[in-house]
Amino acid sequence: MSIYAESLSPAHKSFLSDLFPGEASVLSREGLMAFSADASQERAMPWAVVRPGNRGQIEELLKWANVEGVPIYVRARGTGRVGNAVPTHGGVVVSMLGMDRILEVDENDFVAVVQPGVITGDLQAACVGKRLMFPPDPASVKYSTIGGNVSTCAGGLKAVKYGVTRDWVLGLEVVLPGGKVLRTGGRSHKDVVGLDLTRLFVGSNGKLGLITEIILKLIPLPETSASLLVGFTNLQSSMAGARAVFRAGVLPAACEFMDRVTIEAVRKTGDLPLGDDARAALLFMVDGTEAGVAAEVRQISEALRDSSPVSMEIGRGKAEEKIWAVRRGISPAAFLIKPDKLSEDISVPRGLVAEAVERAHAIGEENDLTVMCFGHLGDGNIHVNILHDASVEDEIVRANKAKDEVFRLAIELKGTISGEHGTVLTKAAFVPEQLSQHEIDLMVSIKHSFDPKAIMNPGKGW
Amino acid sequence: MAGECILCGKCLEVCPLLNATGREELGPRAKADLCSQLKKDEAGLSGEAVAGLAGRCLGCHRCAKVCSQGVDVPGLVAALRAAHPDFKSWLWKTWLVHARELWSSTSLAARLIPKKFQPEKLGQFLKMLAGLKGGPGLEPFLSVESFPETWRGEKMLLFAGCTANFVQARWLMTALRLLSGLGAEVLPGEFECCGGGLKSAGFADEARAMAQGNIDVWRKAGRPRLVVLCASCRSGLAGYADCFKDPAELRQWQDSITPLTALLRGAVFVLSEGAPGKVGYHRPCHVDNADSDYIFLGNALGERLVAATQKECCGFGGLMRLGAPGLADQVNIKCWKKLGSPDTVLSGCSACVAQLAATGPDETQVGHWLEIIA
Repeated sequence: MSIYAESLSPAHKSFLSDLFPGEASVLSREGLMAFSADASQERAMPWAVVRPGNRGQIEELLKWANVEGVPIYVRARGTGRVGNAVPTHGGVVVSMLGMDRILEVDENDFVAVVQPGVITGDLQAACVGKRLMFPPDPASVKYSTIGGNVSTCAGGLKAVKYGVTRDWVLGLEVVLPGGKVLRTGGRSHKDVVGLDLTRLFVGSNGKLGLITEIILKLIPLPETSASLLVGFTNLQSSMAGARAVFRAGVLPAACEFMDRVTIEAVRKTGDLPLGDDARAALLFMVDGTEAGVAAEVRQISEALRDSSPVSMEIGRGKAEEKIWAVRRGISPAAFLIKPDKLSEDISVPRGLVAEAVERAHAIGEENDLTVMCFGHLGDGNIHVNILHDASVEDEIVRANKAKDEVFRLAIELKGTISGEHGTVLTKAAFVPEQLSQHEIDLMVSIKHSFDPKAIMNPGKGW
Repeated sequence: MAGECILCGKCLEVCPLLNATGREELGPRAKADLCSQLKKDEAGLSGEAVAGLAGRCLGCHRCAKVCSQGVDVPGLVAALRAAHPDFKSWLWKTWLVHARELWSSTSLAARLIPKKFQPEKLGQFLKMLAGLKGGPGLEPFLSVESFPETWRGEKMLLFAGCTANFVQARWLMTALRLLSGLGAEVLPGEFECCGGGLKSAGFADEARAMAQGNIDVWRKAGRPRLVVLCASCRSGLAGYADCFKDPAELRQWQDSITPLTALLRGAVFVLSEGAPGKVGYHRPCHVDNADSDYIFLGNALGERLVAATQKECCGFGGLMRLGAPGLADQVNIKCWKKLGSPDTVLSGCSACVAQLAATGPDETQVGHWLEIIA
């Protein structure tokens, strides 16, 4: 017998409508549909959606849900790729978009205090207004929220220099199942007292508690930046080029690569500032002082010379944004080649990226499918997209086989099956191949300490 | 080519309705998904309820512009409206109810309301919902000192649009004066409404007939440049792609559509002494990427141009003003929050001007940029 309620009773529904009056609760099938799926395209219908406007409502909700055994699925803008926000067991979806205030951007403490529904791009803009910077920038930065970014430990383009979301969270306010409020960390940039519960919550995918407030670390805004889009005739030259740049002593703010298929896909969406005969490309961003950036652009150009680039576009100001718009447009452009894709984001030690990409391409060929690789070369985090047509039964079978082979490749190369997307629903079955049973047992017991009745985001793996 | 929504969420960045309400079910991704789930017919959805929910769309087309898959949510919404058998009668009934609430029987708008439903007048009607009136408008404070020679002698058609033709005659007169100053030869042409409002309301056949009529006027005049005053009209005209068989002629049509301010590049303007100190600019949802109105106002007003909207919609929202005025109001409030309360707010879209004029703070005057030209 399930440990959860099977549906909402009339009493449950009136509890929710009283706590979340008017438009703050949704019960109609048509209204609920929007909350049934996320960018993973996985789907399950919730029983209800509620929209809290304050922490008090959340405390009440989690007290009730814990007693009644109602699954709780926290959701912001549903842009995750692995089904974090999908209400697998029905239950109540908690939409956090109403808690979207930037409470503080403090230029003395170099911290920001925000509610989870703030769009990360809006926070960044508010920081820029005070000459401050919040660096993490996942591709969805303009339309995903900081709450979602923290829950999933979102990565992004600048992780090579600035790290991922985890590295910027100083403290949290969380409502736990049962309704108790937990505060972790604080405004200090250093803190070694006790176990790091803040980090435990970052990337916990809503499985431990519901985050209601976030304290983030900020740094001074770099004076300027420059970006380079460099084309090469083949993948090997581009990898050699990237190696040369790091060996020259440059740590770019971003270092991305695109393979041949990626370039073909993006060309379909419009003009690409890249040489016609480019079959691989690198994108760099450097930031810092005016003099430092100019010097690093020179160093990069010189370091790349031995790899014989076929084109080099250097962008400053608005032209820079044009280069990064190309990068941000890759993922949707893949659908112009095939109607469906399996998007995996393995990560391998940086020195093994070339081998990983070549072997991923080979896996594609062996399965008669197109495999597109691009991503965060600087972190060894490769987005492997297996393009296929899901209306052809045989292609689905081959795509899934290729996916398994890509995962095994990552593990064989001492990497990880996911660098930033997560595994939660779509990749859960594969996690035991990477994590030991001992690790998984420890995670289960940690979750149990926070959420003994397992009401938070149930039905998902790690 | 229109593909299927992949739920990526890119459109969530630009939807003014989602951003003003925080209600995900009102966003474009939710609407696209709802339409495709309805088509699959597996989820037990009610067609009527889907049409009601999905119909809460401002029709701003911002989502369609950023979609990598070419999904046109306002187009899907229009199709749902068209498929709804009682939609026409609902629209007319609601219109009459609101009309009585909004205008006294002696107002200009009330006199223009016909006795029976006339789809071809819908665009005009919708603007009246925002309280459009043919009042005296803004006090002019910008004079032309000199015109560029670029367009002298070129034959052009002027697509003035419903508002300038029927309500704001002053816009039409000023536009003609500017074209005359530029030395353009304005050809005679009897255009109908652009049909944009009608199309998004689900009256595709009627909108197409209007489009065909307008294209014929242009063809007969020898396919000259087509000058427009209103961003929504421009967008409506640019959306005639399916009326052309020959791609070369379609390109010629689209290239011919020119905002009046684009022709004024190089003109020299002088501000009068009574010019307001603080002017805001509202960027219409339907403006083209170049937004020549903004460039024009920036050049002419300099530091007096203190605020400009980017992501914010005025909240006019076409049919939403009828079906869900409360939601449209939330969008409008967000727009005014960005604009603040400058002395004057200018825009280049007749619907935005009507909506903002009816909702702004008392100390702020709102008008089309044409009204400031002396």
